[in-house]
Amino acid sequence: MTGKHGSVMKIAKTDIVFASLAVGTGALTYARLGGDVVLESVENAAFLFLQILPQLAGGLLIGGLVTRLVSREKVARWLGGSSGMTGLFLASLAGLLTPGGPFTSFPMVYALWIAGADAGALIAFISAWSLLGFNRLIVWELPLLGVEFTVVRYLVCLPLPILAGLIARWLGRWPAFQLDDPKEPDA
Amino acid sequence: MSGPLIFVWVAVIVLAYFVWKREGTPGLKAGGQSALGIAKTLSLRLPLALLTASFLIHLIPVEAMTRLIGPASGLVGIVAASVLGGLLPGGPMTSFPIAIVFLQAGAGVPQMVALVAGWSVFALHRLLAYEAPIMGWKFIALRLGSSLVLPVLAGLFAEVLVGLVPGLAAPF
Repeated sequence: MTGKHGSVMKIAKTDIVFASLAVGTGALTYARLGGDVVLESVENAAFLFLQILPQLAGGLLIGGLVTRLVSREKVARWLGGSSGMTGLFLASLAGLLTPGGPFTSFPMVYALWIAGADAGALIAFISAWSLLGFNRLIVWELPLLGVEFTVVRYLVCLPLPILAGLIARWLGRWPAFQLDDPKEPDA
Repeated sequence: MSGPLIFVWVAVIVLAYFVWKREGTPGLKAGGQSALGIAKTLSLRLPLALLTASFLIHLIPVEAMTRLIGPASGLVGIVAASVLGGLLPGGPMTSFPIAIVFLQAGAGVPQMVALVAGWSVFALHRLLAYEAPIMGWKFIALRLGSSLVLPVLAGLFAEVLVGLVPGLAAPF
């Protein structure tokens, strides 16, 4: 694969945060444990980076391709309105299939909210995305924590999003947990 | 070539085929561009995050914490691990490298399950950076209220599962 670096990369605020974290923890490591440990840490990080690179590239491509296959509008249609247990199942399934990081999933939850999905469905969706999402599983958990652990972790988490959805509906009886109507974007 | 790696790239090929069938080459291009966009965002952040994690491994008292969440620590260990998971810094790129250290240092599998689940559900960084601005604080209150027990349940289910299939108790 060839990379094209056409434009100068923009450095975002988040990058500065990460850079300060790296420098801060690095300085602390140096002060407490000396230069050898710093070098060893840099080596470890470089090795880990090379190790995850092929899977990270694959994971990003999966995310990009799936966005071509599943549209936001479609997901909203399946879950619109109050939907009973079926809605919780569908919401969990949709969350599980939603690729990418929080920059994809939260805008999608917001779209579902506007489309009229109920609190239980929203919670089931985001819980399934965070606990059962394929992207993170494939890119991070499998390569770093191994197949056996990942299988155990995944199996026991399988019923949890639906449970969270049920709890959310139950909590909705108290005003503190009732969601206001969503703000329409650019309205 | 490891199993997961083959799996990932087979998935890429299968998905690419479906996209190509539906939208032809432009669809593939758009999918690739979307992936490239995220890759660009990560290109600086990810190495820095990995570096931070590998420094943190030396700074946090892993041994003391691992004793707290060892295989014999039971429910107390599971609850502690759930909280610890919620406090792990950053996205998957920092927290998974730290999690692997705990696992290798001898944390129990149910406790590790609770830790990963706790991180997935509570993730402080994600909450502040994305959830609060997009969904608002009332949604966060509802979501945290609804998911408070999930990591502990995950740990307890895992304890049962590991009891039934002892081969799963020592993944390393």
